[in-house]
Amino acid sequence: MAEDTHRVRVWDAPTRIFHWLLAACFAGDWLTRDARYLDVHEFFGYVIGALVAFRLVWGFAGTHWARFASFAFPASSAWRYLLALARARQAHYVGHNPAGSWSIYALLTLAALEVATGVVTLGAEKRLGVLAGGFGYRVGDIAHALHQWLAYAMLAVVAVHILGVLVGCLADRQNLIASMLTGYKRADSAIAAVEARRGVAVTLALALAFGALGYFRAYPMAAGAPRDRPPALPLDAVWKNECSDCHLDYHPSLLPARSWSRMFAEQKSHFGEDLGLSNETLRHLQAYAERNAAEALASPVAWKMATTVPAAAAPLRISATPYWEQRHASLDAATWERVHRSACGKCHRDAEAGRFAPGAIDINLGRSPVQKGG
Amino acid sequence: MPGLRNIALAAGLALLGMDATASAAPVDDLLQQFRAQGASGFTVAAGEQLWERKVIDPKTGQARRCALCHTADLRKKGKHASTGKVIEPMAPSVNPERLSDKAKIKKWLARNCKWTLGRECTPQEKGDVLTMLRSR
Repeated sequence: MAEDTHRVRVWDAPTRIFHWLLAACFAGDWLTRDARYLDVHEFFGYVIGALVAFRLVWGFAGTHWARFASFAFPASSAWRYLLALARARQAHYVGHNPAGSWSIYALLTLAALEVATGVVTLGAEKRLGVLAGGFGYRVGDIAHALHQWLAYAMLAVVAVHILGVLVGCLADRQNLIASMLTGYKRADSAIAAVEARRGVAVTLALALAFGALGYFRAYPMAAGAPRDRPPALPLDAVWKNECSDCHLDYHPSLLPARSWSRMFAEQKSHFGEDLGLSNETLRHLQAYAERNAAEALASPVAWKMATTVPAAAAPLRISATPYWEQRHASLDAATWERVHRSACGKCHRDAEAGRFAPGAIDINLGRSPVQKGG
Repeated sequence: MPGLRNIALAAGLALLGMDATASAAPVDDLLQQFRAQGASGFTVAAGEQLWERKVIDPKTGQARRCALCHTADLRKKGKHASTGKVIEPMAPSVNPERLSDKAKIKKWLARNCKWTLGRECTPQEKGDVLTMLRSR
C-alpha cells in the first residue's frame, strides 16, 4: 500500500484556522457562561458568528475538500458508514467521511442557532447589543433557555465529533488531529494537493484580531461605560437623601409596589428603627416608589422581580425574594462574612444606578475595599 | 464679651476655610428652642455621659449606646449596626458638614434616641449632646 500513497495537502489554511478558532471560541464561551463574564462571552459569540458566516462562504469558494459539494452525503450514507465502521469494513474517504460530514452540519447549525439565540437573549433580557429592546422580556427568557439547551446539545455533538476523530485515527491508521493542524494527510497517489490559500487565512485572523482590539479597547467594562448602555432608570433626590444614610438607596424597581406600600406603612418599625418621616416626605417617597416599582419593568431585574415574587407576598428585604436567592445561591458563607447582604454596591458596580448588569459585577466579590455604595 | 468672642470664632473658622454661620447657627437655634422648652445649663460632661449610656434593647437583648455605631472616638468613621454602612465622623472638627443642617440634626436626634434609648430624648439631653458634639 505504501507505494501508491503520498502525503498530500487536503485541508487549506482557512479551513484549518476556522476549525481551531471555532473550537477555541466554543471552549471560551463555555468557560465564560457565568453571567459575570458576559462581555467576554459575548465577544466569543460574535467571533463564532463571523466564523460560521465565513465557513458558509468557504463551503462554496474554498478548495476542493473544504467545499460542501465534496461532503454532501445523504443521512442514509452516514448511517451505512457507521454500520460498516462497526464491522471495520468502512470505505476510505480523503476528505470528510459521511458520518463526520453530518457532525459538521450539526455543529454549524447549532453554532449559528447559538449566536442567534444569544443575540436575542442579550437584546431582550439585558437590553444590550444589536437587538437591544427589540423583544420583550418573555421572548428573552425563552431565547435564554434555548441558548442553554442548544449549548448542551452542541457540547454533546462536540463529544461525538472528538470520539469520531479518535475512532477515525485508529481506522485510518493516521493522526487526523495533526492533519487538521498541518493540512496534510496520507492519501492515494492519484489525489492532487489543494492550494494552501494562506492569504485568506491571514486576512481572516487579522480581521478577528482587529475586531478583538476594538471590542476590548474599553475593557474591563466599567459601570457607565459608553458601550451599549441601556436607558438610565429614574432617580429621585429625596429618595437618595432619605435612604442612603443607613444603606444603599435601593432603586424602587427592585421590589413590587405592594412591598413599598408595606414598607412605608410600617415606617415606624423599619428593620427595628422608627424612621419618623413627615407625611409630606412619606407621600413623595411612596409616589416615586409606586411609579417606578418592579411592575414598571424598567430593567431586566425589575422584570424578574415583578414576575417571580409570589402575588400573595410583599417582601421587605430584596434579599428575601426568590430571584435574589436564585442569583446568589452559589455564594458561600465566607462571602457574606465579607459583604453584608444589604451592601449590593460591594460587588455590583452599577448598584447605585439600579441596573445590576452581569458585566458590572466585580469578580473580586468584595475582596477589594474600593467599591462604594455599600 | 460674647459679641467679640463670636467675631473671633467666626474669624478663626473663616481662616480654617469653614462657613461660620453654617456650622454654628443651627446648633445655637436648637439650644435656644430647648431652653424655651425648660432645659438649661447644657454641659459637655452631661453630653458625654449620655453618649456612653448603655441601654439593653428589650426585643433583641442588644446593648445599645451611641458609640455602637459612631465609635467612642468621634473623629473616626463609624459603622451602621445592622447594615454595616460607613458613617462619616460625628466631630465637626474633622467633618464640617456635621451640625450644619437643622432639619438633619432634629431628624437624627429623634430617630437615634428612639433606637438607642428606646424613647425620645428630653430637650435637656438633646442640648447636652449637641453641646458635647460641637466641642469635638
